[in-house]
Amino acid sequence: MAAAAAAMSAVPAAAGDTVKIGFAGPMTGPVSAFGHEIERGMDVAVEAINAKGGVRGRKLEVVIRDDEFDPVKTVTAYRDLIERQDVVALVGSANSASMLAVTPLLNDNYKVPAICVHTDATAIIHNQAEASGRDNYLFRLGMFGSGQADFLVDSMVKKFGLTKIGLLTWSAGYGQIGRKELTRRLAELGLKPVADETFETGDTDMTAQLLKMKEAGAQVIMHYGTIKEAVAIFETRQKLGDPMIPFVSSWGIAVPALWKAAGDLAEGTIDSNVVTTDGPQPPERQAIIDAYHKKYNREFDDPASFFDAYDAVMLFSIAMDKAGFEPAAIRAALEQIPSYRGAGLVVDHPVFTKDRHEGYSLDDMLLGRWTNGKFLRVGYDAEGPFVMPSEGVKKHIDPTTFGPK
Amino acid sequence: MSAPILRALAFIGLAVLLAFPLLVAGAYFKFLLILVFIYSIVAIGLNILVGYAGQFSLRHAALMAVGAYGSALISISLGSIPVLAATGANVWIGMVAGSLAAGLAGAALAFPALRLKGPYLAMVTVAFGWMTWKVLLNWTSLTGGDLGVASIPSMRIGSRTFDIDAYYYFAGVAVAVAFLLQRNLARSDFGRKLRAIKHSEIAAASVGVDVHREKVVVFVLSAVFAGAGGALFAHVENFINPDDFQFYDSVFFLLAVLFGGAGTLIGPLIGAAFLTIAPEMLQDAERYRLIIFGVIILATLYALPNGVAGALLTRLPLEQAPRRSPRSGARSGGRAPALAAVAQRPILTVSGLAKAFGGVRALADVSLAVEAGKVHALIGPNGAGKTTLVNILSGYYRPDHGHIAIDGRRTDLHSLHHAAQRGVVRTFQNIRLFGDMTAREHVMVGAELGARSGMLDALFNTPRRRREQARREAIADELLALVGLAAHADLPGSTLAYGHRRLLEIARALAASPRALLMDEPAAGLVAGEIEALGTLILELRKQGLAIVLVEHHMDLVMQVSDVVTVLDYGQVISHGEPTAVQRDPAVIEAYLGGADLRSFTFA
Amino acid sequence: MVFALQIILNGVATGAVYALVAVGYSLTFTGMRVLNFGLGMWVMLGGMLTYTLYVLWGLNIALAAPIVIVALTGLGVICERFTVRPFLKAGSEAWVMATLAVGLLFIDFAELIWGRDPLRVPGYLGQAVVRFGAFALYPQQILIVACTIAVFFGLDFFYYRTLFGRAFRAVAYDPEVAELMGIDARRFAALSYGAACGLGGFAGLMVAPITLVDPQMGTTLGLKAFVVPILAGLAAPRGILVCGLAYGVVEGLVSGYLFSGVRDMLACALMILILYFRPEGLFGAPSVERI
Repeated sequence: MAAAAAAMSAVPAAAGDTVKIGFAGPMTGPVSAFGHEIERGMDVAVEAINAKGGVRGRKLEVVIRDDEFDPVKTVTAYRDLIERQDVVALVGSANSASMLAVTPLLNDNYKVPAICVHTDATAIIHNQAEASGRDNYLFRLGMFGSGQADFLVDSMVKKFGLTKIGLLTWSAGYGQIGRKELTRRLAELGLKPVADETFETGDTDMTAQLLKMKEAGAQVIMHYGTIKEAVAIFETRQKLGDPMIPFVSSWGIAVPALWKAAGDLAEGTIDSNVVTTDGPQPPERQAIIDAYHKKYNREFDDPASFFDAYDAVMLFSIAMDKAGFEPAAIRAALEQIPSYRGAGLVVDHPVFTKDRHEGYSLDDMLLGRWTNGKFLRVGYDAEGPFVMPSEGVKKHIDPTTFGPK
Repeated sequence: MSAPILRALAFIGLAVLLAFPLLVAGAYFKFLLILVFIYSIVAIGLNILVGYAGQFSLRHAALMAVGAYGSALISISLGSIPVLAATGANVWIGMVAGSLAAGLAGAALAFPALRLKGPYLAMVTVAFGWMTWKVLLNWTSLTGGDLGVASIPSMRIGSRTFDIDAYYYFAGVAVAVAFLLQRNLARSDFGRKLRAIKHSEIAAASVGVDVHREKVVVFVLSAVFAGAGGALFAHVENFINPDDFQFYDSVFFLLAVLFGGAGTLIGPLIGAAFLTIAPEMLQDAERYRLIIFGVIILATLYALPNGVAGALLTRLPLEQAPRRSPRSGARSGGRAPALAAVAQRPILTVSGLAKAFGGVRALADVSLAVEAGKVHALIGPNGAGKTTLVNILSGYYRPDHGHIAIDGRRTDLHSLHHAAQRGVVRTFQNIRLFGDMTAREHVMVGAELGARSGMLDALFNTPRRRREQARREAIADELLALVGLAAHADLPGSTLAYGHRRLLEIARALAASPRALLMDEPAAGLVAGEIEALGTLILELRKQGLAIVLVEHHMDLVMQVSDVVTVLDYGQVISHGEPTAVQRDPAVIEAYLGGADLRSFTFA
Repeated sequence: MVFALQIILNGVATGAVYALVAVGYSLTFTGMRVLNFGLGMWVMLGGMLTYTLYVLWGLNIALAAPIVIVALTGLGVICERFTVRPFLKAGSEAWVMATLAVGLLFIDFAELIWGRDPLRVPGYLGQAVVRFGAFALYPQQILIVACTIAVFFGLDFFYYRTLFGRAFRAVAYDPEVAELMGIDARRFAALSYGAACGLGGFAGLMVAPITLVDPQMGTTLGLKAFVVPILAGLAAPRGILVCGLAYGVVEGLVSGYLFSGVRDMLACALMILILYFRPEGLFGAPSVERI
């Protein structure tokens, strides 16, 4: 009874009004940088779409709510956005736990599609609806738990030739999920981590963990965590001296704030990500990067969030253009987009299908190396991995040290 | 604002709340109100702790987490038993179990911490909160870690799952029940006892209140409320993770209580409602929202220290103090204390008492015997050890050497309340009252030792509780008449004149049915007429068979009422015997004056 | 063996920070029977202010340090006057909330002024690692230990050898009697609160190069440093130094030989056990209240 009432109140507005896309995320608090970056991605996309006359003659509008990274507030915010603001589509919150909390609401009660852009947890997409064959209203652009782990491990083992991997993961948050996935993938390749260390939030010293890594002969430290502790790892590593074990991490620290905080200590660090903004870029993306600098007069806080949010709005507009403004129809149309050349995502095959709601696959992920303050994409040729600091210039990397060859 | 207007407002508010689901479609507001109800339940529990018992829990959200996770995990695992899953009983059992688990956690916390003075409870709650946080995050196999527990079953009755309207009404009823329980508690003798503890633990203990036990009991009750709120939360949200129970959430509850008005009945509801709804309304102020919010709260704390409810109400707290009941007329005379046959054998004996503090020897080899129906005065220069002796006799200190015997049996008095249970009650040199509780309430608290009704009776307002209150009221009226304060019975203790406060303290002590009453300088600060009245009272008590130990400097009073005088100097007994003999004893004169005649000297 | 020693060395440096912050709790408690539950935020403010003075404005650290200490002491005195003292009235518990609320406000203000990203403060003696044999320490870590020990010796001297310090101890022991002797107990209380805040700021200054400074840095540090006075005794400064260092070392050893997750749980359990069996702390004297 209540579900029907709720569904009824989600009827889209009359023709002529704006079409609203909603976002509830951390707009205040310690991780609010991500919330604002996502907002900017949505704004830029909506501006571009509206400049061309909107979708089916109607303009798009972004509606923002602050959930303070708190799942309870996310639920409240989503109820507000859907029932009272009449949004027809959503860009997902930045907190995995928040999305886990609202997924049943979206699939069972409200039936409004959401594209997540910054949340890793596998269970958001592979949820109950998917398992029981019902319509799945959750989609994702960006890294996801199991995929990222597969990508990291495969890159290190197959592309860099390193088999002795030491795990150093955050005891909270996505750290433990990462650890589980990494261990799983290693096992699938017939390997085991030579060291398996954890650290706590706010730890400033990693001496014990790094000493154990050295003793175990780790060839690379694989990390899931946040910037603060990563810097502590770098400092401890430098203090303990040579040999300095190279460091690869998930995309949690693949943001400019890392270099701001760590400086030279981060040189040589490799992270996984879905997009880079430094170094040579395809012209469409470079145009958006320039437009960002011009419009906001600032550097990126998190390029991936920005581009994924941009792409999410673009994909929604494509779906709406095809199928209209009914949330259920938008959802179905998302599964029918044959190809997409966007800001972050560039694919020549269907973006989403009925069975695959992850926009990125392992082929779309990339590694980036922090080189002189820039996050440069890692490419491979016959000589091995390399980065391109500028157009046409190739600098090869030593896979055992991550330093210049 | 007066009571009738408030009642009318409350009635209107209740009507609106009841009709709400019918008036408003959509889940947004209903959900918000459900949250307000849930948070109110936790806040009520915290209010009982902070407002009534004066204790602080800085991590109440951790107790809520115990309830939430306990209920979620238990109902999920019980859900595999078909008969339970079919009836929905797995959730009901889970919720009860979760609440009780929170109570257990509260007991484990409070029991050690509340034995100590100072902010130790607050510190222990900090430790507990931190530990809970770590367990929730790190013990991933049990709690799911950061990703929490999902697919928590909704509440059900049979095959009917609760929808949001059902949750709304259930939560509303739950908070109403919590409110009623709180009100019952506040208006009961248990509630009075709590308030007495908050004002002065020592005074409460001196009349037989087991302060530690009551503080633990209250903390456990408060924890059960928090756990119940958490359990309901888990099944409403169907998803919980550690982010729901952070440090900031504990701060939220504390703010709700203080902002609403600690120690008032509706305070926690006002606080929870404001703190939940206001941020939602301020959504558009974005990054300044938290600052504005924080400033408002601080300003309220500063300008309205009794909270919003405290400022609105004409009298704090809302519960009414019992007024003179028409049944008990003012009976003249007092009542006879427990001992009918006035035994000549001493009630209280001490032998060879010694007590040292660091290097200072306060008492050395002190022995005396106190008999029923006799007044035994204890005099000596300042620092002679008189108060120390009284403290030992009343159980506050343990002697280093020597022993105490009551009725000839060696007894180890380990606390004020233990001594009171054994029949030894004392008054204090610096009067210790219970703040603005009425005179009658003071004496009612004093009648603790005969109590047969406890917290559960208070919560559910059983007939036993009401009988208990009647018993105490009768005792209070009698004793107030005895000491001459009958006309002041309904006045707050803090407004009484100094002399009357003394008398009130004595009346309160008498309510504990002592066999030995220790009075520490009762005449201090009294004017001549009051001292005379005090003397008359002491003689009356003596006639009723009470054994009285009187520490005094007023020699006239000592001479007037005493049967026996013991003189202490530098911790030792230097003289003992009848008042006139002691007065002439050269050793005594020497100790006080170094030579002059004591008769011509009175200490004011 | 090398492993253990390196961890112990490191632990001493970490523990020195805990001790430095912990003494702030102790100071406030002895001075006015109040626990500054927001002390961690004062540490954070010290770190942020250091960033501005030392990094942004390029002041010499010898100049920046006294500025930070004096500024935060002054701010602490002001806060005591307006956010603690009004709530110390009998029966009111609001001071607990007030110290907390002030701390939370500091976090918000810090975010507004300095942003949310972690900021880097270079070590005051340079960044070159100091190596001796198989062991290595950052010069900042050595500086912290040295300064902490100096602070504790200074406090000791203050308490037992100066008139001011003796007056302070008198106020802590019995404020009423101290007033009778002509000591302004309220002024002392305010000063003790301010001094504790200043010390907290100094701790922030010391620890800034070790950990990145950001508005959230005070919460965990304040919590961990809280354990130390419980272990040692709130009114036992010498014991606090010992327990602080020991806590840092044990933390490191547990992380090294077990795993980090269990470390904090052990600390909490230990704290509760100590409170149960020896509430006055390992180095404290059982307090006797006089009635």
